[in-house]
Amino acid sequence: MIRIEYLEVRYGRKPPALSIERIEIGRGERVAVIGPSGAGKSTLLRTLKGYVRLSQGKAEVMGVNLATAPRRQRRRIHRRIALIYQQFHLARRLSVLQNVLCGRLGLTSRWRSLLGVFTKEDRRVAWSAICEVGLQDQVHQRADTLSGGEQQRVAVARALAQQPEIVLADEPVSSLDPAWAEDVLELIAEVQAHHHVTLLMSLHQPHLARRFAERIIGLRDGRVVFDGPPAGLTEDRLEEIYRGDEIRRLNGATRPRSGKSRSA
Amino acid sequence: MTTIYKASAAPPAPRRTRHAIFRLSIVFLVLGLLAYSWYGTETSLGRLVDSGPRMAAFLDRMFPPDLTWNSVEPRPFAPPLRLAGQAVIITLQISILGTALGMVAALGLGFLASENLTPHWVHHPIKVFLALLRSIPVILLALLFVMAVGFGALPGVLALAIHSIGMLGKLFGEECEGVETGVWEAMDSAGANWFQKVRYAIWPQVAAQIYSLTLFRLEMNLRDSAVLGLVGVAGLGLWIENYRRAFDYPSVATLVIVTMLVVLVVDQVSFHIRRRLR
Repeated sequence: MIRIEYLEVRYGRKPPALSIERIEIGRGERVAVIGPSGAGKSTLLRTLKGYVRLSQGKAEVMGVNLATAPRRQRRRIHRRIALIYQQFHLARRLSVLQNVLCGRLGLTSRWRSLLGVFTKEDRRVAWSAICEVGLQDQVHQRADTLSGGEQQRVAVARALAQQPEIVLADEPVSSLDPAWAEDVLELIAEVQAHHHVTLLMSLHQPHLARRFAERIIGLRDGRVVFDGPPAGLTEDRLEEIYRGDEIRRLNGATRPRSGKSRSA
Repeated sequence: MTTIYKASAAPPAPRRTRHAIFRLSIVFLVLGLLAYSWYGTETSLGRLVDSGPRMAAFLDRMFPPDLTWNSVEPRPFAPPLRLAGQAVIITLQISILGTALGMVAALGLGFLASENLTPHWVHHPIKVFLALLRSIPVILLALLFVMAVGFGALPGVLALAIHSIGMLGKLFGEECEGVETGVWEAMDSAGANWFQKVRYAIWPQVAAQIYSLTLFRLEMNLRDSAVLGLVGVAGLGLWIENYRRAFDYPSVATLVIVTMLVVLVVDQVSFHIRRRLR
């Protein structure tokens, strides 16, 4: 599904933000990416989504090499990859249903959607996604009236409406309080298993990664320093990933982080 | 990570105005400009006082406003009140149509002029184009259109539309530049094209403000369209100009009052709608 070989991503002349020798992720895997701030977690996800240009090497997603494939091919896989954000990025003045329908924009009739018209199929998919995240009762409520956890549920439903093969979640629970965070991660894991999609999520807290992922990739300074099942993530390995300043987080200490927002 | 700053012994001294001379020279520059304009326009208190009687005589000739319905003596034009209804309607129609046309075009151009929605080789030329449209005063535009398409309502509609495009396009664009762009990327990530992104990521955030700006433009266009009569555009202004040329000052007074009333009513209505939109 995802295959990275000797990938390097650089911004300017600084040392590479990402320098990965090899990662291979199969269909239906549930992977967490952990590492300290600035380790390249977001960059990795955004590279796979096609938002970051590769400086060197190869990143193959669904059989399409992002470095060399023509635009049309990249476009085609683009809509099969859903992205979930730390800050949800919902259209705040639109209802839950409208937001979820937005996930259909790449699949439905372009011009009719501009008039706000969606097909029966679109509405069926959107509704089943809403049911899956359990927001049936708030379906016509405006997105900005929901709590943070509920908003992230809407975002998950929007991602589902896209009928993706790969779901990338960029710190999906970092702006939620711990109870909601577990709740949302549980939902994401459930949905992932049910639809058998490939899930790659960056997480800030190792204990959450241990609990909700089947495989953990540890990044540090843009390099893979750990890749294996949660059981293999010993304290020593964690120490190696985080080292020093971030040790406090190992015990599961959670702390709201200010959002990193980057526009495409 | 919070850093705790210790209060230093004394608060920092206020910033020294290092540019005192610079500031002073600006004051002198402004004063000089005022004086220059005062003399250039031959404004003088003496002349203002001298023209007092003339103003009084002029106002006297306008008073009382002509409110007759059936006039017995022959006159070049019908009594003003008989014309007022028609004139008000055509003036309103010109401003409504001009604003609407302007808004539609400004919508498209506004999104294109927004720095966060288009690459610079798109929004730059469009911004320049909008500035060009704005740079022509409405009355000049109307004059040109009267020459191009003849008298009547049409040149007024076109003039207001062109000017509104320039003004609204700029304001719409700035409105779009202020929106939160995360949702734009989220739509992109769902595979939406540019139009869909504008429709679902931007439009919900700016719609209310765009309606409000358009209504505000309508108010201004109404005032402008009343003036456009001076260059031959149909409506209230044209009749004011006609009566003025016939030295029928009481009728001019009537129509000026009618204009004020219409503008006040539209202002109030628009104000209340705009308050609701917020």
